[in-house]
This record gives sequence, C-alpha cells and structure tokens, in this order.
Amino acid sequence: MNRTGFLYDERYKLHLTGDYHPEVPDRLTCVYRGIQEAGLLASLIRIEASRADMKWIELVHDGRYIQRFEAACLSGKRMFDSPDNQMCYDTYATALLAVGGILDVAGRLMEGQLDNAFCAVRPPGHHAEAANAMGFCYFNNVAIAARYLQNQWGIDRIGIVDFDVHHGNGTQHIFEQDPTVYYYSIHEHPSFAYPGTGREFEHGKNSGNGYTKNSPVLPGQGDDEYRRLIEKDLIPAFEEFKPEVILVSVGFDAHMDDDMSDIKLSTEGFSWIMQRVVELGRQHSRGRIISILEGGYSLKRLPELAANHVKILLNAQIS
Amino acid sequence: MFVSRSMTRKVITVDPEKSVFEAQELMAKNSIRHLPVIDANQKLVGIVTDRDIRSAMPYNFIKDSCSQEQREQICALTVKDIMTRDPLSISPAYTIQDALLMIQNSKVGALPVVDDNGKLSGILSVRDLLRAFINVLGIGEPGTLLCILVKEEVGQLKKIVDAITEENISFGSVLVARYWDENKRAVFTYLLTQNVAHVKKKLDNMGFTLLDPMEWYLDQLPKNGPSPKSTE
Repeated sequence: MNRTGFLYDERYKLHLTGDYHPEVPDRLTCVYRGIQEAGLLASLIRIEASRADMKWIELVHDGRYIQRFEAACLSGKRMFDSPDNQMCYDTYATALLAVGGILDVAGRLMEGQLDNAFCAVRPPGHHAEAANAMGFCYFNNVAIAARYLQNQWGIDRIGIVDFDVHHGNGTQHIFEQDPTVYYYSIHEHPSFAYPGTGREFEHGKNSGNGYTKNSPVLPGQGDDEYRRLIEKDLIPAFEEFKPEVILVSVGFDAHMDDDMSDIKLSTEGFSWIMQRVVELGRQHSRGRIISILEGGYSLKRLPELAANHVKILLNAQIS
Repeated sequence: MFVSRSMTRKVITVDPEKSVFEAQELMAKNSIRHLPVIDANQKLVGIVTDRDIRSAMPYNFIKDSCSQEQREQICALTVKDIMTRDPLSISPAYTIQDALLMIQNSKVGALPVVDDNGKLSGILSVRDLLRAFINVLGIGEPGTLLCILVKEEVGQLKKIVDAITEENISFGSVLVARYWDENKRAVFTYLLTQNVAHVKKKLDNMGFTLLDPMEWYLDQLPKNGPSPKSTE
C-alpha cells in the first residue's frame, strides 16, 4: 500500500455560503465519512491545514486582487465579484488554509514522505482567474500548487487533469501561454454548461499552443464517452508531454445523481478515470499525483466517490 | 441597432481599371472576400467578390495549360469587366434587422453602405453581423443556458423572469424561439451563474418544462422535420 496523504481539516468548513448554495461545508463531512466508513482512515497519512505563505499565491494572483479579497471578507461583505461567490468573514482565512495545506502536501511529496495525496479542501479553485473570483472559487489551488512545484522544487513539466464537470477557465487562462504546464480538461460542453469556455478549438496560445486540451462532452453522455475521449485526447497527450508530477482537479459533479450537470457518469466511471490517471502517473511521474477537490455536490454520492478515489491512490502501482 | 454602428468603416476598395490579379491580391492580403469598386469621386460603381474572380479564371489557366492567347486575354481583364454593376447597397441609417433580411433574401455575403450623397461609407458583412449576435447571445460571459418551453400566452415570460430574479441571478440574455410546437415557444435564458440547480427545480415546480439540452434548437425548423440543408 502507498503512503497516501489525506489533507483534511475541520477549519475548511468555516467558509459559509448561505442558503440555496450547493458548495456547502457538508460536502467535506460526506467526503470524510465516506473514507472513514470504508475503513481507509488508518491507512492514510493525515495532514492538517496550514496558512499559505503569500509569496506563492502571488505567483498566480494579482496582488491587488488578493487585497481586494481580504478587504471584502473582513469588511463583512457576503458576496465577492459575482453572486456565485457567497462568503463570510472566514472565507479569506479558509482559502489561505486550503492553499497552505496543499503546498504542505506538495512539499512532503517532493521530500519523499508521501507517494501521492488527496486534498479535501474548500473553497475550490479551478474557476478563479488571476484577478477575479468566479464560480465558487477564490484562489486557484491547483495553479498555485503547480507554480510552487516549479519554483521551490525545480519541476520542469507539470500535467494537470481536470475532470470536474465544469471547465476550469481559471487554470486554463493562467497556463495557456506556458508550455511547461499541460492543462487537460474534460467537462460538459460549454454551450450547455457553466462557464462557457473549454471548447475543442481552445488549445493554448503563443508558446503554450498545444499545451492545453479540452474534451467537451455533450449532455446526457456518460462512462462510454468519457472513456473514448480520455483514451483519444488525454493519454496520447501525456505520453508525449511526460509530466513529472500530475495534479488532478477532482470534481465529482459529473455523476448522474449530481444535479449540477447533465452528464451521467456512474460511480464506476469515476473509478475508471482515476485508475487511468494513476497509470499515467506510474508511467511518467514516478506515481507522483496530488489530487485536489473542486466540485461535486451530491451529498448522497460524495462518500462513495471519495472513498473509491482514495482507495485507488492507496493501491496504485507506482513503479 | 443601426448599420452605421456595426459596419466596417475602413473599407478596402478597388479601382475599376485595376487588373483582376491586383484585386485578388488585395483580398488575400486583407483576408476579405468583397471589394467595393469606387470611381474617382468615391461613388460606388460595383462590387467584386472572390467568387467573381475564381469564375473569371478558367480551370486550364490555373493548371497552366491554356494557350498564350488565352493567357493574355485573362491578364488583360480588369475589375470593371467582372464586377457586379450597381450592386445592392444599404444606407448607414438602416437597422441590423434590415440588413439581416436583405442578406438572407439576396444571398449576398456583404452589403456596401452608401450615404445620402452616394458615397461609400462602409461595408457590412456577415462577419459583422455575427459579431453583433455573439454579443447579444452573451457567448464569452460565464454563465449557464436553460431552455424553458412555454405556452404561447401573455405573461409567461414575466413568471420566468420573476422566478429567476427572486434567486438573485442576473441575466446574460433572454431569447424567445418560435415555431417549436403549435402554441408553444422556447425561452432561452442565459444566466450569469454556475448555481442553477435550485432555480431549475423551482421552475419545474411552477409547471414549466425544462427541455433536454440535446433537444434544443434556435432555428425555425419543425421539431421532427428535415435536417437543415445548405443553400449554397
């Protein structure tokens, strides 16, 4: 069994989003419960949140944006940049704890204490742009992790796999001109789903051209279509790119029982995807995979989905 | 809504005496397909398209297999020999709707815009219209599209807009498509949010039908009718 890190902290529940908002603290309760009930907690290496050093966040986000976010929170505003981003006094501090925890995990992975890890954080990050908050996201967790690995640990090539049902516009825009970070996303087609980006013809810009790939999926599709697209688009791309570390934006909202999308992935479908990512990790990245929670709102399905996800990381063949 | 606001003002034009090859060069260099032809007084006298130019050159000329005499004839061709004289044009005071209908009826790809004095003041192409409609549809702004089937009855849209507004959601656009079903219309609401699950449930509880996204269309085709055919 692998030394799999599990980043979890009750403080990630301090970010409150108010009524009728799907991105709620209970999501993490379900994730934790699923892992606990599957008897996996004892096998995992528990890591708690820590506050991020601002210098890493500034590698991705505009300084003025960070100040604006902090000021909005501390002055008691309940909304930031868009009505999707409901927040509370503790949102800024929670977002810093999410980033800090992930960077701690990344550091331990590079020091050889961990083989791979799952980071159950809130708020999520992949919609956050360099200078504005969007779609429940404030700091782009996965993007900051990528920059940290490059700057602190000298990693040259990072591969990001994003299978949240929504396109990670923030992550794409942050790296679209950068050939050192390959961003792959599979998501519901943007003509039918938020945020309206992630079309097939978006494949990077300038020197980053060819280092972004999007696989839009039509409404109503599920396991078969995901299998087909991942084999066709992701596998050959990463076989050529050979990422040294793989970061996963894991969203569970493409599940058929999740009402945030029209995509109908089954629980087994999610396992298949992660299994395939783990195989890529074994081939190219010495098994180094850090998965970071994005969306996933079905409180009924989150326990099993999180448990299966962690099980795959624990049992992955890494060499 | 006026043509003057959407047209291209810096028009690339050509002199009627220029050779066909020069016209072709101008189009290729500027990635355009329509060249208004103007006289010395800036008056519009014709229009030449990439198709006019292709038709003027026989296949064997391109294949480099025609006679010397034929070659000379083709090389001597000028814009005025192949242009459409007195082309359809519009006034800058026309509306976008006027232009859309004219383009659809006349099957042209662009309309020169001529002011009251007969001088060329711009050109409006299908591309300019597309830009306007990309803006109207709100493509590019983050949001989620819903399609709600409603009875053709006064007050339906108000109910939908009220229900969505109560959720504190802003609209990127609202479109109403006709000819869905008899007595029915499809309302497309583009909502500037990711958070639509709750409002979808609410609309459903109000008795509205939310259409399966794979069944959506914006065109006027009958629901089970023939698939769209190109008019080219």
